[in-house]
Amino acid sequence: MQFSRDALKAAYTRMKVIREFEERLHVEIQTGEIAGFTHLYCGQEAVAVGVCEHLGAQDRIVSTHRGHGHCLAKGCDVDAMMKEIWGSREGLCKGKGGSMHIADATKGMLGANGIVGAGAPIAVGAALASRVDGPGPDGLNIAIAFSGDGACNQGTTFEAMNLAVVTHAPCIFVFENNHYSEHTGFQYAVGTARDIASRAEAFGMKAWRADGTDFFAVYETMREVLAHVRGGGGPAAVEFDTERFFGHFEGDPQRYRAPDELSRIRATRDCLTKFRASVTSAGLLSDSDLDALDTEALDTIERAVTAARAAPRPTPEDVLSDVYISY
Amino acid sequence: MPAIRPFCMPKWGIEMTEGVIAEWKVTEGEAFRRGDLLCLIETAKITNEVEAELDAVLARILVPSGGDAHPVGTLLAVIAEAGTPAADIDAFIAGFRPAEASAAARSTPAEASSAASPAPAPPRLLTNRAISPEALKLVEASALDLDPIVGSGRDGRITLQDVQQALRPAIALAPAGTLPLAPETAAVFASPLARRIAASHGIDLGTVTGTGPRGRISKADVLRLVQPAPSASSATATFTPVANAPMVVPFDSIRKVVAQRLTRAKQEIPHFYLRTSARLDDLLALRKTANLVLGTKASINDYLVRACGVALAQHPDVNVQVRDTTLHRFAHADIAIAVASPNGLVTPIVRQADRRTVAQIADATRTLIDKATAGRLAHGDIEGGTFSISNLGMFGVEEFAAIINPPQGAILAVGAARRVPHERADGTAGFETRLNLTLSVDHRAIDGAAAAHFLKALVGLLEAPETLFR
Amino acid sequence: MSTMMYRDAVLSTIMEEMERDSDVVVLGEDIVGGMGTPGGPEAIGGIWSTSTGLFGKFGAERVIDTPISESAIIGAAAGLALSGKRPVAELMFADFIGVSLDQIWNQMAKFRYMFGGKTRCPAVIRMAYGAGYNAAAQHSQSVHQILTGMPGLKVVMPSTPADVKGLLRTAIRDDDPVIFLEHKALYAMSGEVPDDRDFMIPFGHARLTRAGGDVTLVSSGLLLGLCEAVADTLAAQGIGCDVIDLRTTSPLDEETILDSVETTGRFVVVDEAPPRCGLGADLCALVAEKAFSSLKAPPQQVTPPHTPIPFARELESAYLPSVEKIEAAVRRVLNWR
Repeated sequence: MQFSRDALKAAYTRMKVIREFEERLHVEIQTGEIAGFTHLYCGQEAVAVGVCEHLGAQDRIVSTHRGHGHCLAKGCDVDAMMKEIWGSREGLCKGKGGSMHIADATKGMLGANGIVGAGAPIAVGAALASRVDGPGPDGLNIAIAFSGDGACNQGTTFEAMNLAVVTHAPCIFVFENNHYSEHTGFQYAVGTARDIASRAEAFGMKAWRADGTDFFAVYETMREVLAHVRGGGGPAAVEFDTERFFGHFEGDPQRYRAPDELSRIRATRDCLTKFRASVTSAGLLSDSDLDALDTEALDTIERAVTAARAAPRPTPEDVLSDVYISY
Repeated sequence: MPAIRPFCMPKWGIEMTEGVIAEWKVTEGEAFRRGDLLCLIETAKITNEVEAELDAVLARILVPSGGDAHPVGTLLAVIAEAGTPAADIDAFIAGFRPAEASAAARSTPAEASSAASPAPAPPRLLTNRAISPEALKLVEASALDLDPIVGSGRDGRITLQDVQQALRPAIALAPAGTLPLAPETAAVFASPLARRIAASHGIDLGTVTGTGPRGRISKADVLRLVQPAPSASSATATFTPVANAPMVVPFDSIRKVVAQRLTRAKQEIPHFYLRTSARLDDLLALRKTANLVLGTKASINDYLVRACGVALAQHPDVNVQVRDTTLHRFAHADIAIAVASPNGLVTPIVRQADRRTVAQIADATRTLIDKATAGRLAHGDIEGGTFSISNLGMFGVEEFAAIINPPQGAILAVGAARRVPHERADGTAGFETRLNLTLSVDHRAIDGAAAAHFLKALVGLLEAPETLFR
Repeated sequence: MSTMMYRDAVLSTIMEEMERDSDVVVLGEDIVGGMGTPGGPEAIGGIWSTSTGLFGKFGAERVIDTPISESAIIGAAAGLALSGKRPVAELMFADFIGVSLDQIWNQMAKFRYMFGGKTRCPAVIRMAYGAGYNAAAQHSQSVHQILTGMPGLKVVMPSTPADVKGLLRTAIRDDDPVIFLEHKALYAMSGEVPDDRDFMIPFGHARLTRAGGDVTLVSSGLLLGLCEAVADTLAAQGIGCDVIDLRTTSPLDEETILDSVETTGRFVVVDEAPPRCGLGADLCALVAEKAFSSLKAPPQQVTPPHTPIPFARELESAYLPSVEKIEAAVRRVLNWR
């Protein structure tokens, strides 16, 4: 694998911005300033970034209720996202979507989704659109359905996997197995062999497995997956084993966790710590390089929160707009 | 809608007094569709787009774009149906007067009436607001000021109802105010009114059985408990009489007739009474089978009518009318049945009951009862009759004696069927269903033996009911 | 003008729009028909014959025959639309919205609003609806009452071949998600259709098919014909009915309805869906709310009863609105004291 220092810095910064974005929300939500339900992506950053670093704007992704990481990794504006979560009319979705419904079609981000499992068929549709357009110089544009170990049990996901195989659609099903579907363990809820990739294989597509807390493992796996799909090999699936550092939603008491679980996974399964260890031991970047990036990421988030607090609120008239293009 | 309509400077908001046509988006003579952009109008505050309200042609532009500001209400253009002659447009413009309330009217000096116009042009509405055709007609006819009206249609379109409301005088509101609300108990489903009545009478709704939809307790269910005033008397309480003045109800015409006839009958006719009873078990069993097999819905009373008809045909000396000093004897039995109607007791007649099947009797009876309940019995339905049956069995009356219904010679009073013990042929005891029958007879016309023979035949028919189907 | 059947109007409009715009894509189960069989592709060509010949002409990329996976069909249409295509998805029977409703209701209908007006979802979902073929409770329903109540969707119910042509073209070129409801008992109806390949009927413009000053009759789809028959019978007796074909239930042309009621003062709505919380109730509410002062009689609904759709011929006939039931309702409002 060949990474330039700049590429490493960029990848680390994206992961760190996601981490700080979520850590800050975790604090701000407790003050009551932010309305509604929020599901934090903390712990899974290596997956979003490791996948999206490969993608261009013409590649499309469909996300989940835990979508902040995917949005930021695919290039959504940090300030506009923060304003959206604050409910400002200057938010990415004018304060009408909120945490669970962030989208930016210009960046190929077709939407976070409040309905578990709803995204996979939409991603197949995006892949079929790319099939109509045909391959470009780098092969086919692809579509990615991000799903968790919860969505992998939805019928829509099954239907989407079968339809993708039947239509040979350039679609990649990325399953982020963080071991919990809401408050239920993956060991209980995923019946067949307790393994999601084998399910995808059973539908007739090629599937990969990798450690989702290791950025480099994610990145390298995706290189293979994308070569297969862009080259016209049909749909594929990847299962990433990863960790969720917070509860299902903010306010979740997490009584289902083992007593030392959170401290253990924070100590041993943190993708940022692992990244730092890898690049410093290999002499690619120094601790001070990374510390500088950490400070930068914190500043980015601080500025975003300050801007979100000051951003204009929507007006009652805004309720009526954006239902239709014309009516 | 009028074929020619004015298009005037609109009034957006109370502060707007004038506006400038920034741009016409439709040229003179051009057709447009509802929703098309007609023009842009600038005010001191904003530039607004004006959309067409209907499909028509922009027949004439009177104020070109880019000129001076014009007061609200100024005629800017004329809209017409395609093919409207230019002369009509000219006449419309000539006859046009701005609305009284508009700024244009105030700013336009009153024209010295150049000539007494031959006929005053009908007042034309000046508005760019969306309005329904009927509403427009009414506004034009009533010269109403549209400004204060808030349209209830889509995007503030004015409906006929809006105009009618605006034309009506304001009402003096006489509100009923708030009323006490009894809390809803989870296990008790009652209408709000039932709850209120129950609360005011201290009735525990938990003890009330609801007869409304899905077991809901209705007002009627509560009133049933309220009606008999609870006797508060107890052993210790002293009795206090309350006022008990009668409610005076004069006889209505029907009751007068009934009173006269019954008084005469009881005074003039020498009644005698024969009492007997019939075993009904076989008839009940047969009725059940017949209703099932034949699909009839005959009641016990229908069988009684049939049995009386057959017995009377066998004993015509009982099937009579008494008229002064003559006896009218009939071959067929016209049997009157007593029905309680809203207007009191009526006695419609099942004609030739001996010749009808039970099913036909049932049909005829149902028709008569329906007519009686609806108060629609014709004279022919109650005139004549050779015999009557009065049945109070449904009220649990065991037996009674009826007054003869003149000019008939006899009336049968039917009580309730009861289970009674009896001795069987083998000396053991059992139960059977018996029906008490009391025959009132006019002794002037019918002798005791003749009446007894008739009654015996009747009992025989009821106890061997298959004969009723012959 | 050409004469063609309702089903051919569907097919020819799709064909013309696919020729005109390479972004138009069709998908659905059996729309090619025969895929993976000895008979081969186009052995069937769609059970309603509304997609015959498309596959041969436009190929597998633009004519996507899917497995029986309604959620995936609608979801894929949503994804295609978000990615710049104009998908025309076919749900074989409208009743199948049951297994795909999330994609219609929580996804397509809400994208634009949830995403702050920054996305387009120009998808059309065609579906065959309606009773009359003794197809019983799960293949005969009129689902517009469910879909009309969903903000973000447009709902179209054409009643003639010409309206199919004009409204389907508008639907395909429209930038919002459109539900296009085709009455299966009308597929064989013949009628004159304009040849103009740009002939479009704008949404939200009802059609007045009979004019009269005594009663307003509002309907759509198959039942419109019954209303017209009643209006013609009554016209011979000197009673005039305004018969309004809604064409689209969302957007609703409330002006045409209210203007008519302001003239007639009597309102009867005839609808194929059950009475509760439906189009009939909706329009009665509209009239009661905004034309109360014009009413000479209570607004009337002629709808099936609050039951599922029965199978037996006698039962289905008893279930559906009929000329007799419509005429009785009209007489009721005419004779109201």
